[in-house]
Amino acid sequence: MTLLSDALFSDVMFYLVAAVMIGTAIATIMAKNLLQSAVFLIFSFVGTAILYLMLHAEFMAMAQIMVYAGGVIIFVIFTILLTSHLGESALHIKLPRTFIALMISLAFLWVMVRFVVLTPDLNVATPTATSGYASLSSFALRLLSTGPEGFVIPFEIISLLLLVTLVCAITIARKFKGEE
Amino acid sequence: MTLQNCLILAFILFAIGTWGVLRRRHMVGMLISIEIMLNAANINFISFAYFKAADATAGALFSIFVIAVTACEMAIALAIVITMYRRHHSLDVNQLRDLHE
Repeated sequence: MTLLSDALFSDVMFYLVAAVMIGTAIATIMAKNLLQSAVFLIFSFVGTAILYLMLHAEFMAMAQIMVYAGGVIIFVIFTILLTSHLGESALHIKLPRTFIALMISLAFLWVMVRFVVLTPDLNVATPTATSGYASLSSFALRLLSTGPEGFVIPFEIISLLLLVTLVCAITIARKFKGEE
Repeated sequence: MTLQNCLILAFILFAIGTWGVLRRRHMVGMLISIEIMLNAANINFISFAYFKAADATAGALFSIFVIAVTACEMAIALAIVITMYRRHHSLDVNQLRDLHE
């Protein structure tokens, strides 16, 4: 397997994954049926997880698959099925609206890419991170340590936020008496 | 694969998400586009943590918080969507301006 060097192989893989991610993201935006666009979104998220694996963030890739592709998408699909009839397409969109939106986002893209390309500091290929920087054990040690470098207070705040969200979502979505 | 490549990929995905938010009229479609934008932000965090950060674990941890907040946001937003559909029988954001009346 000396046909491709390691650096070239990772480059080719990166471009492949990037093309899949961009293609599925555009398909998500353009799909007429919302159910189709949710399915394309799954592929985009799986592509992101592969990119995380290439950046040696294994736990992030796992969390991406579990939370996004497993949780959020199921949420979205349930909501689409609850609120619309099967096969019903999205609302009609006028062409000028699409065009103006495309122009705004392309202007943003142009400014940001120009800024990144003009900054030579950002053109690094050798990572500074040590191996296992995003492993489960290093995350757990940082999240639960109470020292000056620990993240125990944000961790607790996030847990409280999740609880509050759970209660709020149930309160908002429940049916009140006398409603329908 | 350099940091520049990853950042440009993240910006392209963010621009696609912006395009979707601006052009969709359906509320769930807008939420899906917002997911793409948040995903692009996460790619940005991870690639900076991998290539340049002095403290890589802290940089990658931040995206864990982003994922948690995203899950919360989606839960609340979809609860609002269901309530809105029950009252208006439509998810057109152009009709959302009736809400303040």
